[in-house]
Amino acid sequence: MKKNLLYPIFCLLLLCCWTSGQAQDGSSLPNREDADATKKVQFNGLGRTILNNTSIDGAILDTDTTTARRLSDGEFLLDVAINAQPNDNTEVQGILRLRNEFGGFFGAGVTVEVRELWARGLIANTVRYRVGDFDHVMTPYTLFLADEEGTVNEPEVFRPQKEVIEYEQFYTDNNSRRLQGAKLDFGLAFPVILRDMKAEGFVARIRPTDFFTTPNRFVGGGQLDFSTRSLQDSVGLQADFGVNLSSVWDDLKTGNATSGITNQVFSVDFAVHVFENEQINVQVLGEAGSSKLDLREEEKTTFSEDDTFLEAGVALDLKASKLRLSATYLDVGPDFFSIAAQSKRVAFNRNKTFYNRIGNERRLRMPTLFDLGRDRALYNYQLSEDLMAYDPRYANVMPYGKATANRNGLQFGAVYGDDSSLFDAELGVALLKEIRGQGTFELKDFRQIRLAANVHLNRILDWDKTTKITLGFQQEQTDRGGVEVEQVDLSSTLIEVGLEAELFNRFDLLLGAKMLSAEGRDYVPAIEAFNDIEDFPAAFVADDQETMLGGGIRYRFKEDVYLTVQYQQFSLERALNPTNDYDLRQIFAQYVMKF
Amino acid sequence: MKNSIITFLFISLVVTVFSTCDHDTDQFDGPNLVDRFGEFQLLEPLAINRTTVDFSAGEDVRMTARFNKSVNFTIQLTGTESGAVKLITGFDNALDETNAIWTGGTTELPFFREELVEVELLIPEAGPLNQTGSVEIVGTKTYEGSLFTDFETPPLDNIFFGNFEFELNNNTGRRNDGLAAEGNWYYNFEGTDNVVPNFFAGLIDIKSTITGNTYAPIPTTVPEELYFNTFIYADGGPHGIAVIQFVYDSNNTGAFEDGQDATFQIAGDYPLNWVGWRQFSHTMAEVGMTEEQVSKIVAIRVLLISDMNSQPNPPLQVDFGIDYLTFTAGKPLEL
Repeated sequence: MKKNLLYPIFCLLLLCCWTSGQAQDGSSLPNREDADATKKVQFNGLGRTILNNTSIDGAILDTDTTTARRLSDGEFLLDVAINAQPNDNTEVQGILRLRNEFGGFFGAGVTVEVRELWARGLIANTVRYRVGDFDHVMTPYTLFLADEEGTVNEPEVFRPQKEVIEYEQFYTDNNSRRLQGAKLDFGLAFPVILRDMKAEGFVARIRPTDFFTTPNRFVGGGQLDFSTRSLQDSVGLQADFGVNLSSVWDDLKTGNATSGITNQVFSVDFAVHVFENEQINVQVLGEAGSSKLDLREEEKTTFSEDDTFLEAGVALDLKASKLRLSATYLDVGPDFFSIAAQSKRVAFNRNKTFYNRIGNERRLRMPTLFDLGRDRALYNYQLSEDLMAYDPRYANVMPYGKATANRNGLQFGAVYGDDSSLFDAELGVALLKEIRGQGTFELKDFRQIRLAANVHLNRILDWDKTTKITLGFQQEQTDRGGVEVEQVDLSSTLIEVGLEAELFNRFDLLLGAKMLSAEGRDYVPAIEAFNDIEDFPAAFVADDQETMLGGGIRYRFKEDVYLTVQYQQFSLERALNPTNDYDLRQIFAQYVMKF
Repeated sequence: MKNSIITFLFISLVVTVFSTCDHDTDQFDGPNLVDRFGEFQLLEPLAINRTTVDFSAGEDVRMTARFNKSVNFTIQLTGTESGAVKLITGFDNALDETNAIWTGGTTELPFFREELVEVELLIPEAGPLNQTGSVEIVGTKTYEGSLFTDFETPPLDNIFFGNFEFELNNNTGRRNDGLAAEGNWYYNFEGTDNVVPNFFAGLIDIKSTITGNTYAPIPTTVPEELYFNTFIYADGGPHGIAVIQFVYDSNNTGAFEDGQDATFQIAGDYPLNWVGWRQFSHTMAEVGMTEEQVSKIVAIRVLLISDMNSQPNPPLQVDFGIDYLTFTAGKPLEL
């Protein structure tokens, strides 16, 4: 019912609104104001060539007679974006993909597909619309794509492969999700107290019906964001606040399905500027809301579960010091469930595209830093109705991002630097605790420290060419007391070090290393329907060390056009089972051209 | 006006903070880890609530014990004379009236008799436990249904036995050698089809008058609801077949008349290829009898057949025992 409220609200507001123009995402056009925007049809796109040679060896292969020691793969790909503007208020775009796998012969291994289609425009010079493919993001608890595990501040040497994954999976910098449907937005301005209001609404189908037992599944919702004028000029008091609704529902009128789910998340977010002058800005900010999950059978609700969340804190901007400090209290209920926010990027239980099973016993190889850095098959952009699997070595504190259920505690943050600083850094500390026990009334304590820093050597040494050292660090600790069998003590450390040095004009040297160590014990629950814990299959015990080293060169022909050649080496050492150790090596060349 | 807005925002914030931190923490999620992975400890030993029990009077035996975690447990009750075994199994952290009650039934035939029963608690996860006890049965359980015969009393002329072609030996007949499935007596068939090669070793006709009635007493006349139950003993020899036929008074004389009354039998018969007693139950609809026919059962015929096709030359002896022929309504006899 709530989801249907959005549309009358939009209609009502349309009658009295005044809008201001805003840029939209996704167009191949630079800007509407650009002179060449008057062209009716434009061609843009991306070309990419990857040639990759991967080899494997190590203790697990000593007696292995089945695993190929060397693999070669790659692709030649061209995405052609055809953008047309039939009139001043309408724009359409389609991306046609031509792809040939490395090793294909003439027509063999060639695919032609449509990668993207959308149209957008302006209705009555007031309401913007977009139909087809679009990206959308709301808040971390309503509709959001949290960052993947295994990275804090990725060294530049590992970025080219990761950029391929991000492009293929439609990941963007702002944690938005790729959807297919329609969305509308418009804005209002007010003369008193409220300064403006922005409204957005969207609906998309995320699963088609099979016309039998699987109904269509939709996601929809919207946001209303308000900004006030100064409420008290002497202290600069001003507030931004909004309401958000994200809903996922099965349409039981499609096919012969008799059961389906609905999952609704409603929230209110706010940012109150309590005090602001030229030196300092004090903000109170946060978000609170609730989720509801229903199972409907034959039009009756047979299962219902709801819970709440709260994030509230204070942020202090020390403008002269380029420092921002924050402290936040977080409380996400054990039964909080948000399909659109908790679905992960990495699907740890998917098959890998290379060396999925190794050894004479053909055991499934678990995903590693190497796979997370290269294998796009492990990545996901779809919405999952159950909590997806996670690897506690990479993320145990908040495996589903901020929306991870069953956590409360404090988070502290510090951000330093701007575009002119010699270095910039971002530090985050989370001290969390379970709200409800898993398998025991004893509660886990979580601690996470994350640090990302960039040291701009060229500014320190007054060079004019980019020379930067990047650092990433994450340390997680999970503890639980109780009797021996209940005790948990899992720690993991991820360290990233990278160097990006422009040796000659547009010619870069790239070096980087990633190291993960994990030691201790925890229990990883097996999830069944509605996120109930079905079982704890066995204690998760780790004493692992992963090391990935990379080095290479890159030549940037121009912005967004580059060629890089790299060598990477990865090793996995498992102290508890050294006969399963192995090494992976790869040499690859990647050429990318955006046009 | 502005102050009102500030107050509203502040109150909203406070209300929101305090209304969103109340969660259900009465239970924990998932199975108990101690149950799942903890080391077993016996907190309270096995105890039995009585030393003698009269199941015929509706009494039962209740066992208790308590553990530190939920485990798979088995209570094994073994009759010292009959060898009957009753198994009570479950997964719990305590034995109590919900999961450890014995009302006199059996899991593995024979039935319990008036005898001493040894009780043992078995927990595979705990290894040897040595938790034992005993209880004496002074009255056996009364089973539901209409008894046709259990061979406990001499049949007199209610059992017809004898024909010039019979090749049953002298061990055939009511026997009281401690092997009965129920009570002390059962009927044994033993013979070798080596005289006339017609597969046929012998038969008995048990007339319904053995029950004291003209027709067999049955709890329902609906063939689909009427179950015939019996226990058959076999020694694993592969060449014997038991056949049970139901004879109904097709000429309405009120008596069994061989050769004139119609007979029915279960398809497939009973190949005697197992060891020990086994229960067989089937509906009379499976036999093919109608409502009128089941209401006029005048005899049950039991035959021993030698499967000549599988026999060596000369043929081997075949045998089986039968006990406790009953009719139940709605479901098979529950042990």
